[in-house]
Amino acid sequence: MSAPLILAVPSKGRLQDNAESFFARAGLDLIKPRGARDYRGTIGGLDGIEVAYLSAAEITAQLAQGAAHLGITGEDLVREMIPHSDRRVVLIDGLSFGFANVVVAVPHAWIDVRNMADLDDVATAFRLRNHRKMRLATKYANLTFGFFAEHGVVDYRIVESSGATEGAPAAGTAEMIVDITTTGATLAANGLKVIDDGVILRSQANLVAARNAAWTDAQRETAKLLLDRIAARKRAEAFREVRTRFAGLNDRLLGIAREKFGVESPFGPPTSSGMLTLHCPPDKVHALASFLREQGAEAVSVVALDYVYARDNSLYAKLAAELDKPAAPQSGR
Amino acid sequence: MSSDAATGPDARAQALVASYARAGYVRTEPPVLQPAEPFLDLSGEDIRRRMFLTADPEGRELCLRPDLTIPVSRDYLASPLAGKPAGFCYLGTVFRHREGLSSEFVQAGIESFGRADKAAADAEMLALGLEATTQYGVSAPEIRIGDVGLFSAFIAALDLAPVWRRRLIKDFNRKSSLKHDLDQLTLASANGSKEYQGVLAALAGSDPKGAHALVTDLLSIAGIATVGGRSVAEIADRFLEQSALNAPTRLPRETRALIERFLSVAGDPDEAAGELRTLASDARIDLAGALDLFETRTGFLAARGVDVRAIKFATDFGRGFDYYTGFVFELDNAANNSARANNALVAGGRYDGLLTRLGAREPIPAVGFAAAIGELAACGGAS
Repeated sequence: MSAPLILAVPSKGRLQDNAESFFARAGLDLIKPRGARDYRGTIGGLDGIEVAYLSAAEITAQLAQGAAHLGITGEDLVREMIPHSDRRVVLIDGLSFGFANVVVAVPHAWIDVRNMADLDDVATAFRLRNHRKMRLATKYANLTFGFFAEHGVVDYRIVESSGATEGAPAAGTAEMIVDITTTGATLAANGLKVIDDGVILRSQANLVAARNAAWTDAQRETAKLLLDRIAARKRAEAFREVRTRFAGLNDRLLGIAREKFGVESPFGPPTSSGMLTLHCPPDKVHALASFLREQGAEAVSVVALDYVYARDNSLYAKLAAELDKPAAPQSGR
Repeated sequence: MSSDAATGPDARAQALVASYARAGYVRTEPPVLQPAEPFLDLSGEDIRRRMFLTADPEGRELCLRPDLTIPVSRDYLASPLAGKPAGFCYLGTVFRHREGLSSEFVQAGIESFGRADKAAADAEMLALGLEATTQYGVSAPEIRIGDVGLFSAFIAALDLAPVWRRRLIKDFNRKSSLKHDLDQLTLASANGSKEYQGVLAALAGSDPKGAHALVTDLLSIAGIATVGGRSVAEIADRFLEQSALNAPTRLPRETRALIERFLSVAGDPDEAAGELRTLASDARIDLAGALDLFETRTGFLAARGVDVRAIKFATDFGRGFDYYTGFVFELDNAANNSARANNALVAGGRYDGLLTRLGAREPIPAVGFAAAIGELAACGGAS
């Protein structure tokens, strides 16, 4: 058998749970043939894939090197760990879990600091006054550097921090921090506030592909099958199926429904008897049902969808287009 | 020594440094492995990405030296000579990531400490730098010079709020930021809209003590505990500055025009000095001290046989490093200077603030330069 497609999946914590349920919803059962502690697995019913269980940081590194073909990891890690990340990896899709913002936070007591321009001024004043630069604790040295450079802030020093970054200002090892936060509660508990325009990155878990992996025809074909299922599930989750039938249902009403509710008619326009199947965004379903009854429908049924397979495989199309671009230079650093 | 080796680039570099040693600069060889802290602190975070960092077993951050100025300065400060006039020369490898180029490259250079005759020392550095280009057969290199001290003196002489002074001096080396600052400078006072109007109004005209008390009360009312870093006094002082900023005494458009006029002055040093004297008298500001130093230096350059009329001076030339405080210069092969932006054959300048930042108790004047041996060998003909 030819070399399998390597799919790297988080091996720990909430990210693992979310990733597994994401695959399960797409009908992809991750199987660990040798038990729960195994770090290699397969996908039931889909040959040619080897699942590698790794930490999110390891996944990011493996994708950068091309040692894994596809993987799930946070955009924050991709942007931080991979220099010129767009040359090395393709972010195929955001997965709507693992949300976290990478933010600049300063002590609450700095009531005169609201935005990055304030921080810029304060940092320079601090250096002139104390003959040293303000320290910033973070594990995101690269993201911080890029963001601060954009805002013209130069008078600061990064102090690498591996854990409990938010405690650094209270502990006196840094004046400010850059860290991830979901609700801001941990920051607040440590006497810190997020600067108004200090959101560096709104991150979520992403399905990521490695440009530098060896993409054989067989591996591409496998990726196509995998992404087809993921795309079918993604589309299914983005819509509800709405069915109805009434005499007055015609193309004109369909046009109005498209405009007002963003519906699609995957199986074509109303039949001569006024039978129609629509796909409607979940938040518009009730308004659509009211509209259809006002127009004459006796009944409107709404069901959730499991999969919607479209002729075009949008996720694979994106991957293929990126992989077929001219090769990126290998030396990134 | 074989005749082969004597004509190779390495032999030329050795000969160059030997001539520096004969001129009285003590040959020095600092360790390759250096503490990372001083480089990060003095050169800014952008150097972190270009440095080769490592750590010792106790977790102290070390690096392969990315330049020799800071190592030579530290060794001098740790020696009995600290504070006294002393000059050093070096020839050694430095390590800095360079996109598409080798990250390990050789520099020769000089650092001169403690000389009070700054204009003469500045001119001597440029003249010794020219010996490097001559050694490699680069005839008549382009000479670009600037003077960070002129810009500082000019900004200090303007009627500007402290916050703007700080920002403009900080951004001198970042041209896009500087332009943005000038836009802001005009806007900020044009519409005068400021956050925290209430606090600023309450503070208008109060003294630091009153401001301190107000900020302390504000924090206490809001139930905010102070954690680390800036003191209440620092926060209060900044509010005070901003409340002063609201005072409508300035003529920002004229100020901006004046700054732009200053930054557009360029040409040979004598012409430029004349223009700057006119500018100073038009604007009724005093730049005499900085301009006298500038013109004295030009005189010393001429005395050393440098063709002053061929020098390209520009007020906005700063070399992109924050630690320069005065004279800065670059020597480059006129033919390919644009291809190697920011990678001149020889480059240096005055950095009077650096030794204090490295721990000297008294300010120590310092000036020096480095020659890029690989680039010189590539540009110059065979010797």
